Amino acid sequence: MRRTLLILGLAVAASLAVLWLTGGYAALQAWVLAAQREAQSTLASAVRAIKTGQPGAWLGLLTICFSYGVLHAAGPGHGKMLIGGYGIGRRVPMLALSSIALAASLVQAGVAVAVVYAGVAVLGWTRKQTEGVATDIMAPAGMLAIAGVGLWLMWRGYAGLRRNWASDAGARLEHGHDHHNHGKESGEHVHAPHVHAPHVHDAHCGHAHGPSLDQVTNLTGWRDTAALIAGIAMRPCSGALFLLILTWQLGIGVAGIAGTFAMGVGTALVTIGVALLAVWAREGALASLPMNRVARALPLFEMTAGALVAALALSLLGQSL
Amino acid sequence: MRLKITLAALLIGGAAPAAAHPHMFVDTGVEVIFDNQGRATALRITWIYDDLTSLGILSDRGMDEDFDGVLTPEELAALSGFDMQWDAGFDGDTYALQAAAPLALSGPSDWTASYSEAKLSSTHLRRFTAPVVIASQPLVVQTYDPSYYVAYAIVAQTVLTDGPACTAETFAPDRAAADAILQASISEMAGGGDAEGDFPAIGAAYADEVRITCVAPS
Repeated sequence: MRRTLLILGLAVAASLAVLWLTGGYAALQAWVLAAQREAQSTLASAVRAIKTGQPGAWLGLLTICFSYGVLHAAGPGHGKMLIGGYGIGRRVPMLALSSIALAASLVQAGVAVAVVYAGVAVLGWTRKQTEGVATDIMAPAGMLAIAGVGLWLMWRGYAGLRRNWASDAGARLEHGHDHHNHGKESGEHVHAPHVHAPHVHDAHCGHAHGPSLDQVTNLTGWRDTAALIAGIAMRPCSGALFLLILTWQLGIGVAGIAGTFAMGVGTALVTIGVALLAVWAREGALASLPMNRVARALPLFEMTAGALVAALALSLLGQSL
Repeated sequence: MRLKITLAALLIGGAAPAAAHPHMFVDTGVEVIFDNQGRATALRITWIYDDLTSLGILSDRGMDEDFDGVLTPEELAALSGFDMQWDAGFDGDTYALQAAAPLALSGPSDWTASYSEAKLSSTHLRRFTAPVVIASQPLVVQTYDPSYYVAYAIVAQTVLTDGPACTAETFAPDRAAADAILQASISEMAGGGDAEGDFPAIGAAYADEVRITCVAPS
């Protein structure tokens, strides 16, 4: 039952992919575009309503900002690419990945507020200068961070593969006893792992050189979390910057800050969806494999997902420079 | 392995239109101006900005702070040319083609600006470097931002000034076909194509366009 449910995740992800590739999203795209356009106009009215002190204006602004966040996250984007790639590549729990997605969106909103208030309010930048800093410096920096996460996943996948190969080599050599036709050469090899393995083991475990395995896992987890959040958050949303600068100019800055965080919550809704789908698809793929293959498949997942994330981030970076 | 291919296709297909969400919406109008020999000599482009963009542009200039939708004559005069200081490398997002070959256009001139119903609008003139004879091949005018930060939509009926033997028809992009072109070009890129050169063509595939056809003078 559980296995069927998991494999269904793979099927759902694959169907979405096929739908995407065959242009099945064309109608959806047109709808999203029309909705974004509508949201843009409603947002302008909401800002005017707050400025002129109309009743219910605050609720209106927060609602439209939330929708704006959902709509603008509905297309392809760097956050979904990173969360999706990481969720497929690493065996990260659903709740943890969803929390990272939420945190990243909120930090992204915070970064937008910080950029605008440091730039426009303190340093006296114009709208153009602020948007220039966001697109010319922060967006490429964010892409670099994302490429870094991709390379890091690739490296760990590669290390995992090497471990698999090492244990394969050991296993194969132990079976060497059966292959009498290989003669003396394989006979010599048979002894190698038995002689060397204990030494290697002792060398690592006996050496009191710091953190235990658990601590290392925790440390990696903490570093990954920070890298994922930074990769997403370092690139502030243009819509949020626009709203923040506009409301600052109109003297209703607090409304802009609240609206920006409402946008972040809206964006998070979509990236959390991607996180759930990525975990579901990955577990589905693993569940469709025989038990003994899972450990061998994980490093491959990790390397492939890492390579894709790194390649995409670097190509986007190349286009933007 | 199949999963990986699907995944790769999904990620690449998804990320290719990098800025896939526009932040400005511009309703566009096209006027084609003909000379007395029935040749197209210039285009007048109208841009109507969305409410939010208009609000931002006015707020940058401290205009219409009471939101009554009315600008003083002085403000209107100061506004003229607000969107005509084009950065180097910005080609105006207007593309004219005949038989798939691009036609050269001058920089903007003779611009106007106005404000009504909370929306700013402007017009400007782009002259053809050489007059265009529209006979066997229609004149195609496309409006798009290759980076898709701005979404242009041709909403108004195209005006044909002094071109009585001509007709104009507006075409919305065939999104399914555009997606197919996108996928095909990704396959080409995987085969070592020129990604940089291919991208403007992709933007064009998603563009609204006007096709002007004329009856050849007999």
